[in-house]
Amino acid sequence: MNETLIKLAVSAGFVVFMIVVAGLARIARPVAPLDESTARALLAAEFPDRTPDLMWIAGDGAGAVGRAGAEALVVYRLGDSWVARTMPWTLALRAPVKRGRVLLKLRDPAAPMARLVVSGVNPWPPQQSEEALAA
Amino acid sequence: MILDPLKPAFNPVDLAVPLFVVTIVAEIVLGRLRKARVVYEVKDTATSLLMGIGSQIAGLLTLGLVGAVTFWAYEHRLFTLPMNAWWAWVAVFFLEDLTYYWFHRLSHERRFWWASHVNHHTSQHYNLATALRQTWTGGIAGTWLLWIPLIFLGFPPAMVAIQKGVSLVYQYWIHTEAIRKMPRWFEAVFNTPSHHRVHHARNPRYLDSNYAGILIIWDRMFGTYIPELDEEPCRYGVVHNLGDFNIFRVAFHEWMAIGKDLAGSRSIREVGGYLFGPPGWSPDGSRDTSATLKAKWRAREATTVSPSAAAETVPLQAAE
Repeated sequence: MNETLIKLAVSAGFVVFMIVVAGLARIARPVAPLDESTARALLAAEFPDRTPDLMWIAGDGAGAVGRAGAEALVVYRLGDSWVARTMPWTLALRAPVKRGRVLLKLRDPAAPMARLVVSGVNPWPPQQSEEALAA
Repeated sequence: MILDPLKPAFNPVDLAVPLFVVTIVAEIVLGRLRKARVVYEVKDTATSLLMGIGSQIAGLLTLGLVGAVTFWAYEHRLFTLPMNAWWAWVAVFFLEDLTYYWFHRLSHERRFWWASHVNHHTSQHYNLATALRQTWTGGIAGTWLLWIPLIFLGFPPAMVAIQKGVSLVYQYWIHTEAIRKMPRWFEAVFNTPSHHRVHHARNPRYLDSNYAGILIIWDRMFGTYIPELDEEPCRYGVVHNLGDFNIFRVAFHEWMAIGKDLAGSRSIREVGGYLFGPPGWSPDGSRDTSATLKAKWRAREATTVSPSAAAETVPLQAAE
């Protein structure tokens, strides 16, 4: 038992050391804030069979929501990567805004919630253009 | 030399711990110096390494059960295979690796076992730290039972344990983007970084492939081999990537999803499908399995001029 505890303690020490080294190295992927074209490219890769007719970009560029038919295509940044999910558009429209973030419940134990920054320029729910409304 | 058939003379994984530390640091330094393609994100790295520690602890919780079943099987063995015979080690090398192939295939193609294995695939990175992102629920999932036939056959438990450790250590070094390809003869026979990158990719083209442990020959034999293509870079992770770095979510999210589905089940067929169908199975077919994702991808390929264009524009990390 003692031997096992010592092994675990040594492993934990090594883990801390490696995390520090990884942090100091700063070799994560560079990720630029999303704009409409990059958000569309990202959604096209994640949802190749769906094309959003309306796009909303989070205030800090760390997420986006596209409307494709009755679905909201949601993407948000995690570290230097991205997480994507869908949810009903009608539910997305009703999502609450708290402390400057819209809280999108994704109903998935693997990714329960997207918290996207809302700004004065990009309020939630999205302001639909006349063209988008017509569509 | 007399070797104890029940207690392994050494644990290859324990012996390899210093190697893990040195090579992870070396890989990070290579990346920092831009000498190789290496990407480490600190929270992702912490998640992988903490999953490794957690896996060691979780393994202790089911050690008694696994040991009891293993020793019982050895007491009822058909033959007694000697630990000090070279041919017995050659035999256990091939048979253990074949067992690993089927364990790994089962762990991807049936949801109950995928729930245990999925955490290893949840990083959107592919580096040596990813190799240590190991399961916490393997003991509960019971996949260790697949190795029991070797014990019944007469391979000493210590021999099988050592070979399993050797396989795990072998599979560590192939979790890297720093090595592009090994010599052609090596790629033909052994599992390599290139083969295993494909295994960790979420591109529809690459799903459910390259299950090998040490020898890639099993994938070639059983039709699950897919080569890495320069024109389609691997995008790592799972089809629906995790929403945060919480290690408990990493360990248990698929079990939670199974529970949620079972709670809403309306028949025995649905229960069976949710538990033992392929990951993504649903009664009405509204969710995607690997097979439907591949079918949709093939349909797009058939109608698109530049099939991999979408994959290449994905991550907005093209500037790296």
